[in-house]
Amino acid sequence: MSDKKAALVIGGGVAGMQAALDIANQGFPVYLVERTPSIGGRMAMLDKTFPTLDCSACILTPKLSEVAHHQNITLLTYSEVGSVSGKSGDFKVRINRKARYVREDRCSGCGDCAAVCPVEVPNEFDQGIGFRKAIYVGFPQSTPNVYTVDKESCIDCDRCVKACERDAIDMDMEDEMLDLNVGAIIVATGFELFDITQYPRLGYGTYRNVIHAMEFERLINAAGPTGGHLVRLSDGKSPKSIGFIQCVGARDVQKGVPYCSRVCCMYSIKNAVMALEHDPEAEVWVYYADIRAFGKGFEEFYEMAKKRFGVRFVRGRVAEIMEGRTTGNLVVKFEDTESSKVRLVEHDLVVISPGILPPEGMDTLATKVGINQSEDGYIAIQHTFFGPTATRTPGVFVCGCADGPKDIPDSVTAGSAAAMKATIVLSGGST
Amino acid sequence: MSETDEVRIGVFVCHCGHNIAGTVDVTAVAKMAADLPGVAYSGEHMFMCSDAGQQLIKDKIAEHKLNRVVVASCSPRMHEPTFRKVVEDADVNRYMFDQVNLREHVSWCHSREPVKATEKAKDLVKMSVARAAKLAALPIKKVSVKPVTLIVGAGIAGLRAALDIGDRGFDVVLVEKDSELGGSVRKWTHLFPADESGADVIKPLMKGVKKHKRIKVHLNSKVTDFDGYIGNFGVTVTNLKTNKDTKFEVGTVIVATGFEPFEPVGYYGYELSPDIVTLAELQELPPAEQLKKPSDGKPVKKVAFIGCVGSREPEKPGHEHCSRYCCSATAKAAGDLRDMVDEALVLYQDIRTYGRGHEEFHRMARQKHVIYTKFPQEEKPIITVHKKTGKLHMEWKDVLSGDKLEFDPDLIVLASGMQPPSDVTETAKLFSLTRSGDGFFNPEHIKLAPLTTHTAGVMIAGAAQAAKNASEAVIDASGAAAKAVGLMAQGEVEIESTVSHVIPDLCSSCHTCISTCPYGAIAMDESHDPPVALVTEAKCHGCGTCAAACPSNAIVMYHSTNEQIMAMVEAYLCAVPDVQGGGAA
Repeated sequence: MSDKKAALVIGGGVAGMQAALDIANQGFPVYLVERTPSIGGRMAMLDKTFPTLDCSACILTPKLSEVAHHQNITLLTYSEVGSVSGKSGDFKVRINRKARYVREDRCSGCGDCAAVCPVEVPNEFDQGIGFRKAIYVGFPQSTPNVYTVDKESCIDCDRCVKACERDAIDMDMEDEMLDLNVGAIIVATGFELFDITQYPRLGYGTYRNVIHAMEFERLINAAGPTGGHLVRLSDGKSPKSIGFIQCVGARDVQKGVPYCSRVCCMYSIKNAVMALEHDPEAEVWVYYADIRAFGKGFEEFYEMAKKRFGVRFVRGRVAEIMEGRTTGNLVVKFEDTESSKVRLVEHDLVVISPGILPPEGMDTLATKVGINQSEDGYIAIQHTFFGPTATRTPGVFVCGCADGPKDIPDSVTAGSAAAMKATIVLSGGST
Repeated sequence: MSETDEVRIGVFVCHCGHNIAGTVDVTAVAKMAADLPGVAYSGEHMFMCSDAGQQLIKDKIAEHKLNRVVVASCSPRMHEPTFRKVVEDADVNRYMFDQVNLREHVSWCHSREPVKATEKAKDLVKMSVARAAKLAALPIKKVSVKPVTLIVGAGIAGLRAALDIGDRGFDVVLVEKDSELGGSVRKWTHLFPADESGADVIKPLMKGVKKHKRIKVHLNSKVTDFDGYIGNFGVTVTNLKTNKDTKFEVGTVIVATGFEPFEPVGYYGYELSPDIVTLAELQELPPAEQLKKPSDGKPVKKVAFIGCVGSREPEKPGHEHCSRYCCSATAKAAGDLRDMVDEALVLYQDIRTYGRGHEEFHRMARQKHVIYTKFPQEEKPIITVHKKTGKLHMEWKDVLSGDKLEFDPDLIVLASGMQPPSDVTETAKLFSLTRSGDGFFNPEHIKLAPLTTHTAGVMIAGAAQAAKNASEAVIDASGAAAKAVGLMAQGEVEIESTVSHVIPDLCSSCHTCISTCPYGAIAMDESHDPPVALVTEAKCHGCGTCAAACPSNAIVMYHSTNEQIMAMVEAYLCAVPDVQGGGAA
């Protein structure tokens, strides 16, 4: 294998994993770089997935294993791209491997260290609703199954060091540089959620029972902080009435996000259905502008949500949300555009569906790799028809949400397509 | 029993977080299993599929010298390959593994009855353990992959896939039933979201394919026979003009047969006036300074578009799906045409301009004063054509104002949906593909394997998979090409050993199995005297139909033998016999 040219994939979400697998399956070595301690990306955080209600972790885990165990893939987690030079077919890449203070070759993921760690901090993987220790894995299927010390929270008590029977914890570990030579690069850096505190009228961050969709995913997840019990964060009560609010931080020119985020309609319909699966007696409303159920099986899923589950879809943008002081309940004020009336509806829980944005650090990465961005910050593609997964820099390709919002099937498809283009470069063919 | 023959079963019960453990008493199930005959180890874990869970299985196999493994967790559909690999890594044959589905079959469907659910879980584990004791190791077989890909359909997806595979250094045979390359895109004069015409987009691809030395093109041709198995398919292509057959072998296939625009007969008076056209027909009109009425050639002053024609119709088979491309294509067309007409209207249900740049078309159309008006799903607009003058009149309810509105357009454009081509049934049968409610082909997995199918070695790309736009079809094509090249670059692939086998001495040569086999995997072995049935293992899908049909009981289904099945039935119906089996852990 080693005599063949290697590829670099930046980002270990579902698109990056697929790209890595499709390159590796052709016999080329692949370095998969991921900045968090585990691959899996956003998909690993989701509870169920539309339109089939497949459990996200269940369908993703085999892919995690496949990537981790593939003989042609080298996983570089907790690592970031330092610098890139060279040209198509011959890039020099420097990778910064952040010190995780746990030796990957020794840690077996047994968890003895976390059991004795006295520090608890909010778990990013659970959107800060649950807690983790200062030495942690974000989630049970973390890949690689290796613990990481969060030095900012660590109090250097050394209990974990003593508890580890394999002497895997090394508090003196330092960041390392790794120099790679690769023929092609795939950027699969994903997305982040729009910061919905930019809409103070919706009360997120002020009202405890206004949450966002990713928090909802963790709340209904059987492996999440509440063991899958859907409760309000203010008082632990099961919500009997839930409102989902669409197009927040999407299709909004004034907030600099003129485009549609493409996934929010479907994930909200899915979440609405899941809320009713948890409590069939609950009342669930979705406040929308247009329902964009465009993918395979999506429209049929939308119809099922309406007819079989009785989700109430109301067309209208929400003006503001008000909180009842004593009850913690929320009153949604909106114009029902189908009756042209301003209405007030009370809910126990409101879930905001944020749009998606290029991830933090995209500008820096684009500069390092030498690729163009479009006005909205995503990676600019070469051409809609002639190079939808190519960047304008030869030898550098893009997939998943790095070039714009996408759902899982479209991300996976783009991952395979980018892999195809990369392997043409690696094999010395023309693209 | 010698040491190697001794049955040593390991049982691993998974909590799946709270998914199983929230309903089923998993500890009780594991405890019960420990005392079953042949069980040498029984334990539980939070997530068996996690790296830690997998390691536990490997460790226990070594520690307890296990030679059979039962994992009681979720549906084998997803994780059977995961666990098979785990046991294999620990030197246990993959066919010595059995999976019990405690999640989909127990905890999820009996979540309100935890006691009974636990009983059912115990029964299922008992049955699986009984089966495990009878499991036999089977060989791991590989077949070679011919480094040639057959691509069916030379639209934008087929052309792109052909070029990618050719550029990567593998041979392609491209079969197109039309007399020209280019498919639907070639015919379209406006191709959103770019400003190029379809011809501009497709020409470089057509040129590239024509001169590529690795791509062989068959025009006016159809695949008329398809045979074989992954890596080794026999293909017959018939030239529709000359009726000449060409036969060749390929290793992989990409089906890129595209779509046909729905012909909306019976919708909005389509057949009543030449001035009511589909979006596809509008897109095929040659570019001109002035949009003219098809009926009398007079300039169009007022145009109306109607969305979701033949799409999004609940409970109407084949028309329930959203056709995905039409909203954005309508926005682009309406915006462009607005410059040459006085009024342009778009009647819609939802505006689905979801893609990159699509929302911008929608916004631009509105800025140019294209009027958007939403009609209710249950109350479609009514179109009338004046009998004498042929003038068009439309009435509908505008949802947002609640008013009844009227308009007298010169031209009505129906954004009709995408349908599978008329010969889709034939194609499906030829390649053993299944179809979903929208009529298009089913992928292997709708989310994580959108390009492969249940026929190993056969991929789908573009609108063959679902309604989509040209740019998305291009991405599909490259992705499907990656799948095909992946197989060809490896040179060989593993095939399942869970196939049927005819015992020649018992075969009565009745041909029953041959006629029941849905995959054409069984033929008479004429070299045998008398001739007996013979299974081509690589073609067998292991469905078991032949074994059930065989009147002589001459067919064994490997991995689902009568003995294995009877052991399960006995384990369920009869109390566990009071015998000590296996090693006591």
